[in-house]
Amino acid sequence: MAENTIKIPEFKAEWKEGEAGRWGMVIDTDLCTGCQACVAACAMENNIPFVGETDAAYGRSMHWLRVERFWEGEYPEVRTTDFQPVLCQQCGAAPCEPVCPVFASVHSQAEQINLQVYNRCVGTRYCANNCPYQVRVFNWRDWERPEPLNNQLNPDVTVRRRGIMEKCTFCIQRIHKAEDQAKAEGREVADGEVIPACAQVCPADAIVFGRLDDPESRVSQLAKSKRGVQLLEELGTQPRVTYLKGA
Amino acid sequence: MLHKLLELSKQPLFRVGVLVLVLAVFSGLGYGLYTTQTTPPQPIQFPHSRHVALGIQCLYCHPGAWRQASAGLPSTQKCWGCHQQTPLTQTSVELQKLAAYAENGMSIPWVPVAMLPDFVHFNHRPHIAAGLNCENCHGEVGKMGIYENPQVLNMGWCLTCHRERTQDDPEKRIKLLDCGTCHY
Repeated sequence: MAENTIKIPEFKAEWKEGEAGRWGMVIDTDLCTGCQACVAACAMENNIPFVGETDAAYGRSMHWLRVERFWEGEYPEVRTTDFQPVLCQQCGAAPCEPVCPVFASVHSQAEQINLQVYNRCVGTRYCANNCPYQVRVFNWRDWERPEPLNNQLNPDVTVRRRGIMEKCTFCIQRIHKAEDQAKAEGREVADGEVIPACAQVCPADAIVFGRLDDPESRVSQLAKSKRGVQLLEELGTQPRVTYLKGA
Repeated sequence: MLHKLLELSKQPLFRVGVLVLVLAVFSGLGYGLYTTQTTPPQPIQFPHSRHVALGIQCLYCHPGAWRQASAGLPSTQKCWGCHQQTPLTQTSVELQKLAAYAENGMSIPWVPVAMLPDFVHFNHRPHIAAGLNCENCHGEVGKMGIYENPQVLNMGWCLTCHRERTQDDPEKRIKLLDCGTCHY
C-alpha cells in the first residue's frame, strides 16, 4: 500500500551535524603549483565544452574545476598566496538542492554526493545562483565540437544539451566503474582505487580522493590534519572537500 | 478580423484547405509516432531464430554482456568464420551481402534497436550477475527474425523491476533507485 501513495521525493540530504559523508577529497594547497593540469583533465574526462572567446567574455566559461589565485599587498609589493583549486564541494547540506523546482539537483543517497540529473533539468539556474562556491556552470548553447573533436568525447559521460546546468560529479563514472569491478571480483573497493581525473593528473599529488567514512583511508587521515580548512565553513554546508593550508 | 474569418469559413475552398492542413498535421504526427515504435530496416535480414535454433548461445556473438557494459555486436570476421564453411552461404541471396562485406573487409552497418538515450548509462554485467537471462529483457529472440524490442525501454520499466527485486534489501534498494546510478 505504501508503495502506491504519492510521496514528494526527498530532495534534501538526511544529514547529521558532523557526519562524515561517503566520498571526499583533500587538496593540499601547499603542494599545488597552479599548473591547471586538473582543469584540462576534468574537461577531457567529462566532455566539458570550450566556449570560445566571445562567450567566455560574457562569463559563460565552463569549468567544473577552476584554480583560484589570490594576491596579497599592493603592486609591486605583491605576494602570491597558495593556488586553490575549487570544485563542487559535494556539500552534505547543499544549498543548491532545495531550490530546484524540478528535483534535478538531488542528493544521491547511495553515493552521498550532489547529483545533477540532466534529463530533469529545465535550466532555471536557481541552483547556480544559490551555490556559495560558484561551481555550477550553465550550457548557454549547444557548443560546437567540429570533426574530429567529437572523437575525444568520453562515452561514459552524457554530452549535455543547451539549457542545462552541470557541475563536478566527483567523476561518478569512475566510482561506478571501480564499484562494478570490485563487485565482479567479490570484494570491497580498495582505498585509492577510485581516482578522479583531476587527482590522476596532478603532478604534485596535491589532490587525494577516497572514502571519508573509512577512518583508515588516506583521505580521511589527511582531512583530520591540523592544516585542514573547509571553504565557507561557517555556512554549515558540510563540504566534503578539505583544503590543507599553511605549512 | 473575426468577422472576416467567419466570412472566409463559409468558402468551400477554405474549408477544404483547413481540412487538408489538419489531416497533414495529424498524419505527420502519426508517422512520427509510428517510426519511434517500429524496427528500423537492417542491412541484412538477419534471422535470430535460425541461429538460436542451431544451438548458438547468445554470449557467443554478444560476449560483452556478462563482463562489461555493452553486449557488443559480432565483427564481420566472426560471422564469416562460420559462414565461409556453410554451403548455404553460396546459395542464399541475403548471405551474398555478408560475403561482400567480408571480402571488402567492411563492418556491417547494423542499425541499433535496443537503444537508450545518451543520458542513461546501462551496464549489462550486474544484470547478468543478478541472475537475469537475456530473454527477461530482450524477449524470445529465438522466435524473432530481426530483433524487435518486446517492450518500450523506459525508466518506468527499469524501476518496476528494480523495485520488485529489492523489496527486502533496503541498502540495495537505495542504490538501485538512486538517480546517480544511471544518470550522470
